[in-house]
Amino acid sequence: MFETIAFYLFAFLTVAMFSITVFTRQALYALTALAAGMIFISAFYFLLGADFLGAVQIIVYTGAVMALYAFGMMFFDTTRYVNEHGRSPLIVFLLSGMAALLVVVIFAAPIASENIVANYPVQEGVGNSQAVGMVLFTKYLVPFEVAAVMLLVAMIAGIVLAGKKMDRSLTLMEEEEIELAKQSQEKAV
Amino acid sequence: MHTHDTHEQHGHGESELGNRYISEHYYYVDIAPYPTTPWGKFSRALKRTLRGELFVGLWVVLREMFKFDIHTVQYPKEKLLVGPRYRAVHAMQRLFESGTERCIGCGLCEKICISNCIRMETRLDEKSRKEVSEYTINLGRCIFCGYCAEVCPELAIVHGPRYENVSEQRAHYIDYAGMLTPIDMAISGEQKEFDGFGAVTPHEDARVKQTPLAY
Amino acid sequence: MDMAFIIETVVKIVVILLVFSALAGFGTYFERKVLAFMQRRLGPMHVGPYGLLQIAADGIKLFTKEDIIPQNVVKPIFQIAPVITAATAFMAAAAIPFMPSFTIGDYTVHPIVADINIGILYILGVMGAGLYGPLLGGLASANKWSLISTARAAAIFISYEVITGLSILAPLMMVGSLSLIDFNTYQAGGIGNWIVWSQPVAFILFVIAGFAETGRTPFHLVANDHEIIDGFGTEYSGMRWGLFFIGEYANMFFISFVTAILFLGGYGDGSLLGALGLLLKVSFLFFFFLWTRAAWPDVRPDQLMWLCWKVLMPIAVINIVITGIVMMV
Repeated sequence: MFETIAFYLFAFLTVAMFSITVFTRQALYALTALAAGMIFISAFYFLLGADFLGAVQIIVYTGAVMALYAFGMMFFDTTRYVNEHGRSPLIVFLLSGMAALLVVVIFAAPIASENIVANYPVQEGVGNSQAVGMVLFTKYLVPFEVAAVMLLVAMIAGIVLAGKKMDRSLTLMEEEEIELAKQSQEKAV
Repeated sequence: MHTHDTHEQHGHGESELGNRYISEHYYYVDIAPYPTTPWGKFSRALKRTLRGELFVGLWVVLREMFKFDIHTVQYPKEKLLVGPRYRAVHAMQRLFESGTERCIGCGLCEKICISNCIRMETRLDEKSRKEVSEYTINLGRCIFCGYCAEVCPELAIVHGPRYENVSEQRAHYIDYAGMLTPIDMAISGEQKEFDGFGAVTPHEDARVKQTPLAY
Repeated sequence: MDMAFIIETVVKIVVILLVFSALAGFGTYFERKVLAFMQRRLGPMHVGPYGLLQIAADGIKLFTKEDIIPQNVVKPIFQIAPVITAATAFMAAAAIPFMPSFTIGDYTVHPIVADINIGILYILGVMGAGLYGPLLGGLASANKWSLISTARAAAIFISYEVITGLSILAPLMMVGSLSLIDFNTYQAGGIGNWIVWSQPVAFILFVIAGFAETGRTPFHLVANDHEIIDGFGTEYSGMRWGLFFIGEYANMFFISFVTAILFLGGYGDGSLLGALGLLLKVSFLFFFFLWTRAAWPDVRPDQLMWLCWKVLMPIAVINIVITGIVMMV
């Protein structure tokens, strides 16, 4: 009984939070609701007995949304409303059509799901993290490693893009040097 | 010994600067040049990590904690001594022995007060002498310039050593009765006489001359 | 689910909430006293004997103060931010075994609210989520100091969370479990079995990350009083500010507990002596938080990020690799 109550409570909360994320005009509301929704999702993992995934969900998405906050802080005055312009009727049409399709799929899903069997059912006696580890390092080893390489590539690319002039320190440069650098930059522009 | 080295290093630099006002014991803090190479930065970080200066700091504060050499003065219970020449809240003096009030109501202090905080009223008493009936100093306005004490011909108003002039009511800033030396203190000679311009000096008796009646 | 379990859990939650809220108050008293003694002062002395009732006076002041919501703030977010800090701090306590299990009559009590088998991950995740308090409070405040503190919070969080995760990975590999109770039983043999002896590097890294997590002195940057007023707390008053405070001190206690259980042997074999030992270790770690505040200066935010990314992270990775090689051989 408690699990049913918890499921509906968290389902309502998650849907409400993500609705706020989509509908609000305030960047701060949107980001906060997003973070809250992400954390509420982890409740489903806990309810299903997938503790490891639940905790990872919390850890990963707190960090990820935190980075979004940093961007929000740089681009908006987060205490003001953002007015959106240019409502394209085409986009509204497409999005509402997709939403309708999604609703149909969601309601049809229970019919299809009766035939679905879990490939890796939860085994008794094997812990959650062990099970995840076993699948990750046997069947999905190649995608896992490829994803790791991709992240490494992204990190190196980010460092290269951001660190172009990192070896130059304005505090150590003489006045003339700074002037020269400024002029050469203006010329390049 | 570290500081001594730097002092020696810069010892001849002082005369170059030509600054005669720098004391002999002053020394320049040894600021190492900022490392620019990666190896320099790394070795500096390594040095700072392994020199254990953080533990020196921890030890110093722990030692102080166990020494328990507390320097707190718990103010309302304990009070620091003020210097003998400290002058703060006004006091009204009486004459020795007789205990009569010194103030003759001349009004000079009221006149000279630059922040306009002294107010006095006078009247004639039954012996047709001038008598102070009202005398207030608004300590909320007073800037403690000391002009009133300087100008007083009778050494009646002085600045006393009392420094606690906090009150919840304005009426306490400050009435005549509060300033006046209590009569019993004046008669028993406990009233403190203050040194300074116009005051009675310790050797006054020896310097008193006979009044030349020959005129 | 049987009724006894629910009642037991509720009682445990209430006890933890009450004990640690009160301890957070006492924490402020201890901090003021310890700092004062280290700086040759006396600290609070006027309210009650040796100033002990100062906590009550502070509590009354915080509870009865006006709750000011300034103009131009984003009201709902501004109001909810302190609650996040305090709530997440106490939520993290759910997976911490505070004492060995004991019996009352014939009923065995396990002093842990939920013994989930990923305890340490859960604690770190929820404590990490606690940083949303300063973040949201600062963003919603419409104040430049708060905004600077928010920027610092976001940057610092991403830096130290990496160190926390990587530093506990090596001990995790040795124990082979994420549950704090398993950690405790692994070290139950005595002082020689403590993980701190086999993983000293991981211990130091975890303590450094713990200082960054709780925002204590060497890394007291998010609410650095002498640079950015009170950071995210600048616009807060009354009990909302008090919740930030309770959250910070409860977090200090919980981090001390986690450090003691992970690296310093926890409650040992579960005897009374072991329980007292755990309390002693936690007290020392809490004292260490205060001690460093008296002794050490603050670093700059860029220095903390430099430290986390360029120094501590490589050390942590090397530590994991070496641990792995040693375990394989």
